[in-house]
Amino acid sequence: MATKLAEVDVVIVGLGWTGGILAKEMTEAGLKVVALERGAMRTPENDYALPNIRDELRYVVRHDLMQNTARDTITVRNNPQQDSLPMRRLGSFLPGEVVGGSAVHWSGHTWRWTDMEFKVRSNYEERYGKKFIPEDMTIQDWGISYAELEPYYDKFERTAAVSGKAGNIAGTIREGGNPFEAPRERDYPLPPLTPILASEMFADAARNTGYHPFPRPSANASEAYTNPDGSKFGACQYCGYCQRFGCEANAKGSPHMTVIPIAMARPNFELRTNSWVTKVLKDSDGKRVTGVTYTNVLNGEEFEQPAAIVLLCAYAINNVHLLLLSGIGTPYDPVAQKGIIGKNYCYQTGASATLFFEGKYFNPFMNAGGSFATIDDFNTNWAFDRAPHEFVGGYNVSGGFNTPLPIGYRPVPSGTPQWGSEWKRATAKWYQTAMLINASGSVMANRYNCYDLDPTYRNAFGQPLMRMTFDYKANEHKMGTHAAQTINAIAKSMNPTKLNPASARTDPWTVVPYQSTHNTGGTIMGTNPRESAVNKFLQSWDCHNLFVVGANVFAHNSAYNPTGPVGALAYWTADAIKNRYLKNPGPLVSA
Amino acid sequence: MIKLKAVTTAFLLSLLVTTAHAEGDAVRGEARFQECAACHRLDTGTNEVGPSLHGVFSRKAGELADFRYSPAMKRSRVTWSAETLEKYIADPQAFIPANRMPYAGMSNASDRADLIAYLQKATK
Repeated sequence: MATKLAEVDVVIVGLGWTGGILAKEMTEAGLKVVALERGAMRTPENDYALPNIRDELRYVVRHDLMQNTARDTITVRNNPQQDSLPMRRLGSFLPGEVVGGSAVHWSGHTWRWTDMEFKVRSNYEERYGKKFIPEDMTIQDWGISYAELEPYYDKFERTAAVSGKAGNIAGTIREGGNPFEAPRERDYPLPPLTPILASEMFADAARNTGYHPFPRPSANASEAYTNPDGSKFGACQYCGYCQRFGCEANAKGSPHMTVIPIAMARPNFELRTNSWVTKVLKDSDGKRVTGVTYTNVLNGEEFEQPAAIVLLCAYAINNVHLLLLSGIGTPYDPVAQKGIIGKNYCYQTGASATLFFEGKYFNPFMNAGGSFATIDDFNTNWAFDRAPHEFVGGYNVSGGFNTPLPIGYRPVPSGTPQWGSEWKRATAKWYQTAMLINASGSVMANRYNCYDLDPTYRNAFGQPLMRMTFDYKANEHKMGTHAAQTINAIAKSMNPTKLNPASARTDPWTVVPYQSTHNTGGTIMGTNPRESAVNKFLQSWDCHNLFVVGANVFAHNSAYNPTGPVGALAYWTADAIKNRYLKNPGPLVSA
Repeated sequence: MIKLKAVTTAFLLSLLVTTAHAEGDAVRGEARFQECAACHRLDTGTNEVGPSLHGVFSRKAGELADFRYSPAMKRSRVTWSAETLEKYIADPQAFIPANRMPYAGMSNASDRADLIAYLQKATK
C-alpha cells in the first residue's frame, strides 16, 4: 500500500532539460515543487571528471548513463501484422536515466525548427495540392508558430551556451550563417566552434557545388561563458568524448550544471532520486489529475505524491507510456485510426559516406560534439522543389565528426575483411585518413507508426511495456535516395583516394545499431482535442492541471535534432503556467 | 669589478623579469578567470571539477587531501608560485605532462600575467 505524502503545488516527473527548466521556473514563481527522477544523482565533479569519464566500455558499451532495460524497455515491431518482441538491450536510441537525463550525454546540437514544420500540412497543401500528401501520411499543423517561440528559443540558446553563427537576423541574411534559418532577433550567445579539417573540407566542397555551408549550432561553449542565470561554462576542449559522456570541462550545456542546481538551492524545491513514477492519478470525474504514485527503486517502497499541478518531463517515450498506463486520453488504434494517445510516433532517417584521403590527417580523436559544417539547402530551403522527387520533408547534410571513439571508430574502405590481419593493417592505414559526410532526414507521421501498450510483455513493476510500431515508408525511401545522391556528388567532387558511398536505406527499421535518440510524437500538440493530446501550451486536453513536456508533443519529426524546440517549449510552457494558468486554473485554450 | 657589474646587471635583469610578472592587471585578470571558473572556486575547501584555488600560492601541486589529483600532478614536485603557474597555464600538458586538467592553455602572455595578478589577490 502506497504511503500518501503531503500535497505540493507541483510534481515534476523526470529531471532532464524540460524538468530542470520547469523546476527552476516554478520555484522562481514561489511554488512548492517536488521532482521525481528514476535515475541517480550524478555530478560533474564526482562523475564526469577526468580520467574516469573517458571510459568507452562503461559509457558506450555498457550504457552507464542510460535507461536500464532489465527494469523497463519497449517492445517493437515494424507493422501491426507482426508480433512485437522486447528490446532487451539499448541500440537504436539511448534514453538517459540520471539527474540531467539525456541532456547529460547529448552532443549539444541545437536548432530552431520553423514554420516549415509547425505548418507542415498547410504549407504542402498550399504549394503542391492536397493530393501531394499520401493518404496514410497523418501530418498536421502543430498549432504554434515560429514567431511565438522565437523569444523562447533565444532564452534556451543563452541558458545552454549555444555556439553558432546567425544566418538571418531580423530578415537580414548574414554571410557564413544558415541563410535558410527563420529570422532571429539576435545572434547566438557564443561564436562558432573552431572548425576542424573535415568540416572545412566539406564546407569548401559544398560551397563549390553551390550550396550554403555554415557551422552547426551547438551547446558546446566555444569560449568560457556565464549564462544569464549565472551558471559558469568552461571552453570546449575538443576532447572527443561528447556524445554518450558527461562533459569533463563543463562546456556542454546541460541541466545538471545550469537550471537544476539553481532549483536545488531553493528551499521550496525537493529532488527525490531513484523514484520511479508508475501512474498519474485522476480525480473521480477524470477532469483533473491529483498527483502520481511512485516506487523507490532502492527498497521497493511505494508512495503517493499529491500535487495541484503534474508536469510530465520524462523521456519522450516514457511520457506517452505514463499516459497510456494512467488511462488519460483515448489510446490510438492504427487500424481503426481512432484515438489520440500513441499517435504519430516518428523517428529520423539518414545516409552516410566515408571518404579516405591518403596523406591527410584528420585527427578524429579531437573534436567537439558539434564539429560539423552543415548545409540546409534540402531542408529549411523552401525554394528546393520537392515535386520532382515526390517526398515531403527534407534533410540536411554535414561533414565533420562527433565522438568518433578511439576504440570503436574503425573506418576502412569497403571490401576490407571485417577481422584478421588484413583488417588490422587496413585500420592502421586508414584511421587518420577518413572523414564522414552524413545526412539527417525527417520522418513524416504515418497512420501505422504509433505506440500502444504491449499485450504480452511486462516491466519490473508488472505494468505492460510500451509497444512501438515503426517502419520507414516510401516517403523516407525517396528522400534517402535523394540524400545519398547529394552526399555522393559532394564526396566525388572532393576526389578522395577511396570512397564508401552513401546509399538510401530501404530495409526495415531495427533496434540495432545506434541511429538517433530523436523519438518524437505520441502525445502530439494541436489545435483541438479531436486531433491532438495537448494544446499549444502542452496542457492536456483531458486534464487541465497536467502538462506533458518534451519531443512527445511533436506532430512529426524534422531533419533537425529536437532539443532546440524541446527547450524552447519548456520555457514557453513555464511562462504559460506562471502568467496564465496560476491566475485562472483551467483550460488555456477552449476546446 | 667588471665581474661585480655583470652580477649586478643580472640581478637587476631578474628584478625586471619579476616586475614584468607583477605588472599584470588584476581587474582584467578577473575577466580572464572566467575561463577557469567553470571548474575552480576561490573559497576554502570547495572542490568542483577542479580543486579549490584558495591559498594556491603557498601550496605544493597535488597537496589538497580531499581532491583526487592525477598521479602526474602528485609526482610533479611543483610548488605553485607566479612563475610556475605562469608556465602551467601557458601549456598545462607541456609543464606537467599527463595531468588531467582539461584545458588547452592560455596563449597570450599578458592575459596570463593579468590572470596571475588577479589570482594573487583573490586566492588569499
